[in-house]
Amino acid sequence: MEGILGNLLIGFIEVFKLQAVTFSGITMTLPFNIIMCLIGCLLGTLIGVLPGIGPVATIAMLLPVTFNLSPIAALIMLAGIYYGAQYGGSTTAILINIPGESSSVVTCLEGYQMARQGRAGPALATAAIASFFAGCVSTLVIALFAPPLAEVALKFGPAEYTSLMVLGLVAATVLASGSLIKAIAMVVLGLLLGLVGTDGNSGVLRFAFGISELADGIGFVTVAMGMFGICEIIANLEQKENREVFTKSVGKLMPSKEDFKRMVAPILRGTVLGSALGILPGGGALLASFASYTLEKKVSKYSHEFGKGAIEGVAGPESANNAGAQTSFIPLLTLGIPSNAVMALMIGAMMIQGIAPGPQVMTERPQLFWGMIASMWLGNLMLVILNLPLIGMWIKLLTVPYRYLYPSILLFMAIGVFSISNQPFDCLLMACFGLFGYVCVKLGCEPAPLILGFILGPLMEENLRRAMLLSRGDPWVFISPSKPISMGFIIASVLLLVIVALPGLRKKRKEVFVEET
Amino acid sequence: MQRLLVLFFLATAANLAAAQSWPAKPLRLVAPYAAGGPIDISARQLAAKLQDSLGQPVVVENRPGAGGNIGVDLIAKGPADGYSLVMSAIATLAINPSLYPGLPYDPIKDLRHVTLLVQVPNVLIVTNELPAKNVKELITLAKQRPGKLDFGSGSTGSTGHLAGEMFKMMTGTFMVHIPYKGSAPALADMMAGRIHLMFDNLASALPSIKSDKVRALATTTKARSSFLPELPTLDEAGLKGFDMSTWWGVSMAAKTPQPIVERLSAEILKAMDAPDMKERLRNMGSEAPTIRTAEQFTSFVASELKIYTELVRRSGAKAD
Repeated sequence: MEGILGNLLIGFIEVFKLQAVTFSGITMTLPFNIIMCLIGCLLGTLIGVLPGIGPVATIAMLLPVTFNLSPIAALIMLAGIYYGAQYGGSTTAILINIPGESSSVVTCLEGYQMARQGRAGPALATAAIASFFAGCVSTLVIALFAPPLAEVALKFGPAEYTSLMVLGLVAATVLASGSLIKAIAMVVLGLLLGLVGTDGNSGVLRFAFGISELADGIGFVTVAMGMFGICEIIANLEQKENREVFTKSVGKLMPSKEDFKRMVAPILRGTVLGSALGILPGGGALLASFASYTLEKKVSKYSHEFGKGAIEGVAGPESANNAGAQTSFIPLLTLGIPSNAVMALMIGAMMIQGIAPGPQVMTERPQLFWGMIASMWLGNLMLVILNLPLIGMWIKLLTVPYRYLYPSILLFMAIGVFSISNQPFDCLLMACFGLFGYVCVKLGCEPAPLILGFILGPLMEENLRRAMLLSRGDPWVFISPSKPISMGFIIASVLLLVIVALPGLRKKRKEVFVEET
Repeated sequence: MQRLLVLFFLATAANLAAAQSWPAKPLRLVAPYAAGGPIDISARQLAAKLQDSLGQPVVVENRPGAGGNIGVDLIAKGPADGYSLVMSAIATLAINPSLYPGLPYDPIKDLRHVTLLVQVPNVLIVTNELPAKNVKELITLAKQRPGKLDFGSGSTGSTGHLAGEMFKMMTGTFMVHIPYKGSAPALADMMAGRIHLMFDNLASALPSIKSDKVRALATTTKARSSFLPELPTLDEAGLKGFDMSTWWGVSMAAKTPQPIVERLSAEILKAMDAPDMKERLRNMGSEAPTIRTAEQFTSFVASELKIYTELVRRSGAKAD
């Protein structure tokens, strides 16, 4: 324990270290690292708030800037962009129902409903507080347990991932607040959309219809912006009276005492879930926010409020996704394995600086390793200080007339989608998904299960086929006693299916549905 | 005849004039892969250098898709005015033509190859649990247990996959190919002992080799790598002539005026020889390439294309 404290101290000293910086000829002594952390957080919040523009594109564009920085300053700034974007992403999710990041899809569900009831302020504050708490805890988790947790991540092979995805997909149906059949239909449709593109094993093109832009599949941002963003705009323009409800009581910014009471347990559960799932390479942090939502909906006293603006549904997933975002640094820092696209970029940034990411970083460059961890905690603190006062300003956005607000949102979404692979086709595709999403809304089908199916489907297929290749076609590999983790997930999925299929529960779901319409 | 001569003269003059005033506007450098990969990173490093020496902005544009084919096709079919460049690689120039039927461009006829930027060896690595301590023992093991060993790779048709196929062919063994999405997850599965071996890019495998998470048996290039000087090559280990590496460079549209190609080639070489750039390229696992001029690069592309066409055909890998 003392060793850890000593290490953290090394980190804090590194972050606050005064450095002589020469800037256009003038040399100043500045705590340069902490300034880079602030810049990263600011930039991250900004791009998180802009719909569709994600951290991957931003970090890639900023890579050349980091050539001339010290390795620690560069990494601190890039990490700041990453978790800053996680923070900012929830803002657009809550205010305008557009998930800026895949992990904020879940925040849309309850957060946007809260905003519609004039509780955007408390929702934003809850998101900020939940993220801050989770960020602090998971930073400690990294400092204390990074190496042993990395070993746990290695225990997850193709079979384990497949079973985890099965559990995730079964749980996805719980996401819907309406009809179960429709939720399942949307999950399956999402799975089908996920199949578009090149087959990983044989290289065969599937469902591309000769369109070369579809060769790599449909992008997540394209689908999310269309199904959530554009669809929301169309649906809102349809009804005029709704707008007044929306903006009437935006005055209250902070959560009430009652709200605070209700968010404590979900935040704690979300943090644990997020820290645990975040270490898994490949969608861990994302799964965490879905898992947390599912869990809260099942255990909460207020489960009848879910789908109608339950604060638990913001607090839990927000803490989970932030905790997951932090712990996803563990495989990177200890094994040199990136767990998502942003982490892959961080590896690129490290390699430019001549640092080979891997277990030796911790021992060979303790300043860098612990400095980065200390900066994560400080960055989270900065974000909360930055974001709480900003809430008032964000909420004012809601009072901006539609005729200004919607064209600008559309513009930003188009820029964001275009910036990913510079293809005009993606913007058209986004528009198509917007129309499709509108049809779905009219039919009472919700987009969240589709999105989850769309994200998990390809991951599941990839791992399923890999597991089958490795087992030479033996399906028992998923429930063999030699793979207890995989077996556990399968058993949990079956149990969950049984619960969902139980007649009594089904009736209860129907009641909820009737209430809503 | 006279008119033709005049026309010819005018055209040459215009060409020359264009080349002399070049570059008069910003250049675009297409990186046909997603941002953040090694090719994208080296594109951005090169762009920063060229910007200084050419006095015009060099804008990196990511156009990912279809294994890089979309971005390369864009330049192959684009204007040959000397302002459009693409990061071309072994995949788009040598492997994809036989892997993808109906490739929209011809890597020899539609493109002018300017400079080879990076050449990285692959390394044959095995999981620590595998009893084989050298290449010879690995071959024996593979022969004893036909179809029981798994080799991973970053994707179907990657250099890692094809090096494995080449190894199988030259040794007469049979191993099962397990494709991943990128070499990082494959490496993770190898550390955990779920797959037995892979032919991974030196840069991505090096940290795991250095920290003894996996065991390196040989490099796939003819010469040893200065990063692992004690490691034998496959050629030394008995697989005579085994010489495979991952490489990428800069190409332009085929009709780009010769003076511009020459100028650009010189500028890129100058950038590569600058100490800081040299260091960064080395950090990617690249030795300074011996192929320097545009002509050498062009004939290198032609010979690689021949080798991989044959390899893809014989191994039966196909994407259609």
